[in-house]
Amino acid sequence: MEKEINVDKGIMDPSVFFKRPTWKKVLIVLLLVLCIPAEIEVKGQGQVITKKNISFIEYPDFPEAHSTWGSIGYNAKYNTVYIGVTNHHDKVGFYEYDPARLEMKLKDFINNLGYLRPYQWQAKIHSKFVFGSDGTVYFTTDGGESREEYLMDHPQGYVGGFFMKWDPATKQMINLGMAMPFESLKDIEIDPESNTLYAITYPQAHFILFDPAKNDLQDLGRLASSHVPRVLFTDWWGNCYYVDWRQRLVKYEKDKKCFVFARNSLPAFEGTPGSKIITGITAFAKDDKNKIIYIITYGAKIIAFHPQKEGIGSVEDLGGVADTGDQPAWGPYVPNLNIGNNGNLYYIVGGHGNYIKKDTGFLMEFSLKTNTSKIIYEFSSDELAEATGSDIKDNDGNLYFAGRRESKKTLNSQPFMIKFNPGKEVQK
Amino acid sequence: MNIFAKILFVFFLLNQYSDFLWAQYTFFSPKESFAIEVSLPNTELKRLPIYQNSISSLIVTGDYIIGGTSANEGLTPFVFAASLKQRQVVEIKDLNQIIPGQQAILTGFCLGNNNSLFAGTMANKKTDGSKGDGHLFQTDIGQDGTINIKDLGTPIPGEGIFSLIFDAEKVTLYGVSYPSGLFFKYDINTKEIKTYKNIAVTAQQVDLLKEYELGPQNYLCKSLIQANGLIFGSMPINSIFYFDPKNDSFHVVKDIPEVWGRRTLGQVESWAISTNGKIYGGNAGDGQLFEIDLVTKNLKNLGKPIGMNRLRGLSFGNDGKLYGIAGSKPGYSHLFSYDDREGFTDLGNPEFTMVAPGIEQGILWRGFQLGTLTSSEDGKYIVMGEDETLSQLLIFAIENKYEQRIGE
Repeated sequence: MEKEINVDKGIMDPSVFFKRPTWKKVLIVLLLVLCIPAEIEVKGQGQVITKKNISFIEYPDFPEAHSTWGSIGYNAKYNTVYIGVTNHHDKVGFYEYDPARLEMKLKDFINNLGYLRPYQWQAKIHSKFVFGSDGTVYFTTDGGESREEYLMDHPQGYVGGFFMKWDPATKQMINLGMAMPFESLKDIEIDPESNTLYAITYPQAHFILFDPAKNDLQDLGRLASSHVPRVLFTDWWGNCYYVDWRQRLVKYEKDKKCFVFARNSLPAFEGTPGSKIITGITAFAKDDKNKIIYIITYGAKIIAFHPQKEGIGSVEDLGGVADTGDQPAWGPYVPNLNIGNNGNLYYIVGGHGNYIKKDTGFLMEFSLKTNTSKIIYEFSSDELAEATGSDIKDNDGNLYFAGRRESKKTLNSQPFMIKFNPGKEVQK
Repeated sequence: MNIFAKILFVFFLLNQYSDFLWAQYTFFSPKESFAIEVSLPNTELKRLPIYQNSISSLIVTGDYIIGGTSANEGLTPFVFAASLKQRQVVEIKDLNQIIPGQQAILTGFCLGNNNSLFAGTMANKKTDGSKGDGHLFQTDIGQDGTINIKDLGTPIPGEGIFSLIFDAEKVTLYGVSYPSGLFFKYDINTKEIKTYKNIAVTAQQVDLLKEYELGPQNYLCKSLIQANGLIFGSMPINSIFYFDPKNDSFHVVKDIPEVWGRRTLGQVESWAISTNGKIYGGNAGDGQLFEIDLVTKNLKNLGKPIGMNRLRGLSFGNDGKLYGIAGSKPGYSHLFSYDDREGFTDLGNPEFTMVAPGIEQGILWRGFQLGTLTSSEDGKYIVMGEDETLSQLLIFAIENKYEQRIGE
């Protein structure tokens, strides 16, 4: 179910194409040319990156699909990518992409899979997908729309977010229950050694510790301010990280069963507004070989974090995500990050009305050798408005993002998956 | 219709219906409102550590907000002072350094003679697992905000102190113990202690309350107020009493306003007294505000400010309005105001700007779980303390007209 950008499969089908009259063929070719995104060829590591390195893959069987959030993850055990796709109201599709078969499938909607009643409606999967050592998939659900935001603790409001578990072997979803009444679960992480789950709630930013095997859930309390930081991440020992309202790293140290707060805030550009500071981290990617976690902040900084088993570890300021010219350096919005097999970082800048160039998304490459960024592709927002996803790379070095395009005229939103490989053409 | 008329018609419609289309909340953020950072781990600033900072007692004396905290089990509470002018915490004091083994300061602070403050504690279990002893203590605040604490001892061994009030005329503290609910008086000059069983929970009541999974924190007298020389509070089940210090007598006045079937939840957890001689109470069980006429002792149910239960704090502002905190876990607390003319106004979750060293640009802090509330001496500020893992102060400045701000 893979598609070229803005190209309908019916049009692309050669058997259909060659049966069309000549004038139609010319028109289709012309349309295809017009639909190709503005592209700048980039040589990274001696490799020319062209449009053949990227493809947009649509989600089938969900015509009213609206968006994806942080809801994407790669399961190395089963070589599959999982994506949660929502109508941004009450219907969330659980998708599985098989890179070997090049197949995107809707497994079902989570209200069916998770035995949710109508009053337990869920508007999004906002969390990433995380995986136990046996390949079991975990994620959390989110209220994510006006009924949660404003009706709050009212019977007409939102009941609360759930932990969910998907067993790829038996193809069964297990509803693991709610964390807190009325609170969404914005993100999840896992300690693969113990299968302990970490989660963060919304709007109160409570840090949750949950052992599904024992059904033992602990609310460790509120850690953040008004705008809840959306991202949790773990290190190689299974400790979990978040940020407080000063954008200081907060580590849950699993051996000591306590929080460790960084003394200093993460680097930020001078003049970064408080609203950016309190929102903390937007994305991360792990360099497993060198034991470095790369972080992007809501204030558009790229940071190299060197975790250590005990205590916080050190951070390195690598600079901004993009050259913003005469615009504030803290402005760009980057809720995604991947690291290529070539050692470069890749991310898409833009979204939520926050662009370097009006209504334009950029796929960027950041060299960790020179700490410089460059634009690879430029997209109009009706081609690619925003992308999410942290650290999603398959066995072939393909990088994945959960993308969304937005009509400039109608503001209608449509989600799709982005598959990108800076080292080779993306397989169709 | 010509084009000009059409444009006018569209403007008319927008003007007419824009309020109806606006379905979302705004924040009441008076310009002079602010938040003070009280809790922050791993810092050289004067801040409280995690899990020891739930602000459960508050009073303002002069420029200083004095707070008393509650800690998680096994940890110890703090007393702190924050300056309204400086918008900073100026002093913190670990109560464990003066009175070891305590867990919480739940009573609020009673203003005594010579500006001394009195409060009581709930203790942690002793190392042998037996019940700890709650203490009374006196706090004196220096001109620079320094905190001096004096231990006044244990009024009832094995019991904590759940609520407290100071009688200036008799220089006596009156309180209710936890978990038995014994009423006691402590003469500050003579240190004489006397206890009364009149409002204590009975074994029969405990059995009934257990059916509803209710413990002493749900049914004991959580707050006391003195008015016309009488001391008012609540007692199980769902009753209001007053104690007359002239003859040490107890009188049951009325039932707390209830929702059908929810009598067992009745508990007055906040009081305030108006300048025209009415006392106002807040029912934890269902969040009703009520007033008692001190002459007739008649009680009037004024209703509920929001849908949730709880009414954790009440205090008057200099505009003559009563301010309070409605709602609590598992929902979200709201600041509200009440007066006879306007009734209730829901001011929502307060969200104010916090400025401190390291966050000079200011960040927004939103109060989801507000534990206690008081007024500044001039009534200009309503001061709220959070009941959180990392609790802060939110200070609402009373103004004639509020500019509302749409949330980010």
